[in-house]
Amino acid sequence: MLEIRDLRVTYGNDVVLNGVDLDLADGETLAIIGESGTGKTTLGMSIMRLVEAKVQGSIRFNGEDLLFLPDTELQEIRWNRIAMLFQNVNNVLNPVHTVLNQVAEPMIEHKLRSKKEALVKAGELLTKFGLPPKRFSAYPHQLSGGEQQRVLLSMALANDPDLLILDEPLSSLDVTTREELGNLLGMINGHRAKLVITHDLDTASRLSEKLAVLYGGKIVETGLTQQVLRYPRHPYTRALIRAYPNMTTVKDLQGIKGRMMRPVSGCPFHPRCTQAIEKCSQEIPLLTQSQGRLVACHRGGIITLLSVVNLSKSFDSLKAVDSVSLHIEAGETLALVGQSGSGKTTLAKTIMGLYSPSDGMIYLEGKEVANKGRDFYKQVQMIFQNPGESLSHRLSVLELVMEPMEVQRIGTKEQRQKKAIQTIGEVELPQTEDFLNTYPHHLSGGELQRVAIARALVLNPDLLIADEPTAFLDASVGAKILKLLLNLQERRGLSMLYITHDIAAARKISDRIAVMLDGEIIEEGPSNEIVTAPKQAYTKRLLSSASALHLSCYS
Amino acid sequence: MHISLKKEIKQSHIGKAGLIILLLVIVIAVLAPLLTRYNPNQQSAASLLSPSYTHWLGTNQVGQDIWSQLLYGARTSLLVGFGVGILSLMLSILFGVSSALIGGLYDNIIMRIVDAFIVIPMIVVVILVAAYIRPDLFVLILLLAALSWQGGARVMRAQALSLKETGHVSASRTFGASLLYIAWRHIVPDLGPILLVEFIFGVRRAVFVEAGLAFLGIGDPMLVSWGMMMRDAMKFSYLNVWQWWLVPAGVALSLTIVGLTFVSHAAESVLDPRLRGEAVA
Amino acid sequence: MTGKHSLATYGIAFFIILTLNFFLPRMMPGNPLMAIYGDEALVAMTPALKTHLIARFALDQPLWQQFGAYIAGLFRGDLGWSYFYNAPVLKVILGSLPWTLLVVGSSLILSTMLGIILGIESGWRRGSKTDRAMLAGLMSLNGFPDFFLGLVLLIVFGVLLKLAPLSGALTPYSGLSGLALVLDVLKHMALPVAALTIAHLAGGYLLTRNTMITMLKAPFILTARAKGLSQNVIKYRHAGRNSMLPVLTMTGIWLGRVVTGALFVELVFAYPGVGQLTYQVLLARDYPVIQGVFLMVAISVLAVNFAVDLLYPKLDPRVSHAH
Repeated sequence: MLEIRDLRVTYGNDVVLNGVDLDLADGETLAIIGESGTGKTTLGMSIMRLVEAKVQGSIRFNGEDLLFLPDTELQEIRWNRIAMLFQNVNNVLNPVHTVLNQVAEPMIEHKLRSKKEALVKAGELLTKFGLPPKRFSAYPHQLSGGEQQRVLLSMALANDPDLLILDEPLSSLDVTTREELGNLLGMINGHRAKLVITHDLDTASRLSEKLAVLYGGKIVETGLTQQVLRYPRHPYTRALIRAYPNMTTVKDLQGIKGRMMRPVSGCPFHPRCTQAIEKCSQEIPLLTQSQGRLVACHRGGIITLLSVVNLSKSFDSLKAVDSVSLHIEAGETLALVGQSGSGKTTLAKTIMGLYSPSDGMIYLEGKEVANKGRDFYKQVQMIFQNPGESLSHRLSVLELVMEPMEVQRIGTKEQRQKKAIQTIGEVELPQTEDFLNTYPHHLSGGELQRVAIARALVLNPDLLIADEPTAFLDASVGAKILKLLLNLQERRGLSMLYITHDIAAARKISDRIAVMLDGEIIEEGPSNEIVTAPKQAYTKRLLSSASALHLSCYS
Repeated sequence: MHISLKKEIKQSHIGKAGLIILLLVIVIAVLAPLLTRYNPNQQSAASLLSPSYTHWLGTNQVGQDIWSQLLYGARTSLLVGFGVGILSLMLSILFGVSSALIGGLYDNIIMRIVDAFIVIPMIVVVILVAAYIRPDLFVLILLLAALSWQGGARVMRAQALSLKETGHVSASRTFGASLLYIAWRHIVPDLGPILLVEFIFGVRRAVFVEAGLAFLGIGDPMLVSWGMMMRDAMKFSYLNVWQWWLVPAGVALSLTIVGLTFVSHAAESVLDPRLRGEAVA
Repeated sequence: MTGKHSLATYGIAFFIILTLNFFLPRMMPGNPLMAIYGDEALVAMTPALKTHLIARFALDQPLWQQFGAYIAGLFRGDLGWSYFYNAPVLKVILGSLPWTLLVVGSSLILSTMLGIILGIESGWRRGSKTDRAMLAGLMSLNGFPDFFLGLVLLIVFGVLLKLAPLSGALTPYSGLSGLALVLDVLKHMALPVAALTIAHLAGGYLLTRNTMITMLKAPFILTARAKGLSQNVIKYRHAGRNSMLPVLTMTGIWLGRVVTGALFVELVFAYPGVGQLTYQVLLARDYPVIQGVFLMVAISVLAVNFAVDLLYPKLDPRVSHAH
């Protein structure tokens, strides 16, 4: 019923929507999500032709192009066919008219009902949406936010529209009202199509079947809501989910590097994207089919950085790693959890090439890795359990961090020095002359691990394999190291294979968890699912024995 | 608040027109003796003459030259206007800023008095007082200033209250600055465009009231004033003398007030950019 | 200016008015009787009248007793004795008051309504040619003193076109009655009312226009447009209704201006209202009547301001339910 093609909205020189395509069928609910400033409200307003801007493209509503409709016909379509549940901001209702009159007004003005009938109908709607009759003659400022939202909802449905645009329908409400209004909104389905505009993933997942993610005036990903939120394919979608506080995901919150800029040539997200390539800044990606949904990304969505297929490693008769398959996406943390002796360190070392595999394949960005040369180590780095062992005590901090670049023969000495000092700053170590000339035995455990991380990072790797990096550290120092890794991931888009025996730490830092037992991966999935709904008995055991503060309540 | 006031007034057509009118009136007032040979207070020819080469706008009922009266009338208007404008502005700043800074009971009392004066029609008070004391130019200026600072004081107080909360004022208080120092160094300079707007309001009101009083015949009969000219001319409105007597005086007065209105409108749109009138649609 | 003044404000204003009225003549040199009536009147007064007046206003008593007598007199409706008209001041003023009320009331209503409508229309078209022309035009009119406007109207319509009577409120000795009388009254008041209305149009217009421009950016205007309401409904019921409120709070203040304007305009048209009376008594130096006029005008303006303050909450639901 609604068909938007190549919609462009420009305020002066500011391109707010830059070629949006959308389809909405009868009875369907589509959510548009995105941060503030991505143009989602403008999209809703454009459909009602309420924007004071240059609008190009086409918005077909039941075959008629709304953009070319004369004002009188448009006036008929507004509210009768397309209505809007406005975002509940101050003064969205007229402060000097009673709410009953405001709900009845569109019915009267569109001559759907007589004034008397309209008031009765308005009363019915308000009652249905939970406003007690004694509040009908109230003025908007006398109502609570939740009550105002009920009025706005009654008003939106007064003329029984075919398409309802809901702009942030549940924002700015307290949790219980949210719940109730969310249910009411769910009830009003029927034949009606709904477009939910929100920055709130909870609202989107509650109300919609389909989801479109808007960024920089373009749709970057669209598909079924459940699938998009569970396995985001576009880097922006994933970043949005990671930044959203909720009870479902267990990983710590992460922001998105940089800030939104307009105008941007090429892909609107590329300045903030961690997997951008040269093409991204030159060409605007089109929405293309990718694993069951549409994604606008030159790299086909989030790329798979490393994949391991049927990898095995035997020491004599002992199969330490038994036909393991796993993959790590760009910018993702995969936690490999298992008790000591489960083969997880062997697996890591095999991937790193410290052991040669007995069987199986390793692919890096889709290319088979056969002989691990310098190029491989430029992309994949590892930090070890015991930093004291991995750092030579004969080299100063500066020399330690410069060493990988010397091995890789990168740059001149000055360049290497500069880069090393910069990286030392990035891992939050002091950049003073004194510190740079310190030798490892003068450093604390936390400092040593940071130097080790700096050594790994100085080559700008895409994948960091971290083998129990906090095992030798106090809890408070370990927590700082974990935070540092998360921050580095946010800034650099680093992928991580995080190896630990501690599932409590894993859930804080990882997107996915793979559980390893006796050389095999027995369970793998999104961290929240592994933590809340484990399938394997062993995983359940890991969880129940994981660290917890065993508090009981005395009353 | 640091948008250039000068630029804003120059950019608006209305403001520009207002400035030109005002400059013209000021030039006429300053150069009055150079533009006429006659003393406006002395009989220079027969009465009620029509315009001629010697008397461009003819003469009035006692044979004074109307053109000279028109020129010197500008002096009276501007003198009263600017005198009252400056004095009442100073009173507004004094009471408004001190109210805001001192607060408490003092603020309360001053503001009650201000409100009371705002609801009393000012001209009626002036008429009553003037009927008794027959003010000369100087006393008239004092009287009008005493009755017209109240509205401005309210505005200054509001502005000073918000300035009081700004960082640089708080900072200087932490250095132990006195209220007087704060008022002088930090509040008054930042009142900026508001001062201009209030000043023009004061000038405009005073020009208006002076003309009105002269029109009613209260005031110094020796003072040549446009209001007085209109009062005299009105008595002869059955003759055609209104064309060169009544109308020039009325137009001169109206133009002066219009000029002031235009400038203050332009200055006000600096204070409230929403009023700049750009089309949104 | 929010139009919200406390009772104390009115109390203080009332006190200032009374004080001015009482002390001003007594501050003048000479004995109080001379100060109140002026020396010319005093010379012509009979000794009997002098003693009567001294006794009536306690002029031989100390100042505070005089003040008491003055206040007591006010409550009896005794505003003093007019020597010029040889009648009580109240009676003299009441004789001319109805005409002034007629002219002032009509112009206040007309200028406020017209100002609101023009302001709504102009604000709606903000930035357009019509808006700019209206803004410049009305602001220019605002600069024209009402008595000059009156004179121009008088010359154009009265002297040149001979469409309207030159003076008075009624055709003298015409013996008109009924509809003819009403028409005669209307014909006489047309020019004074027009002069006052035009001169005081700009206040309501400018305020409405400014509020309108702000209102049009309010979210509820977007709501109204989305509802598919017609332009006039959006303009008047939604934006206009809200833009009117600040204007109404100003009516009390404007009344003061229109009344003082009327003093001048009546003079121009020789309209037999309070203005004309003021002019006469100023010429005759009939001070008690000047005082009486001052008191009546000042107090009626206060009263209207007070009434507007009481009424405002009924018009703006946000104020009435604030507590």
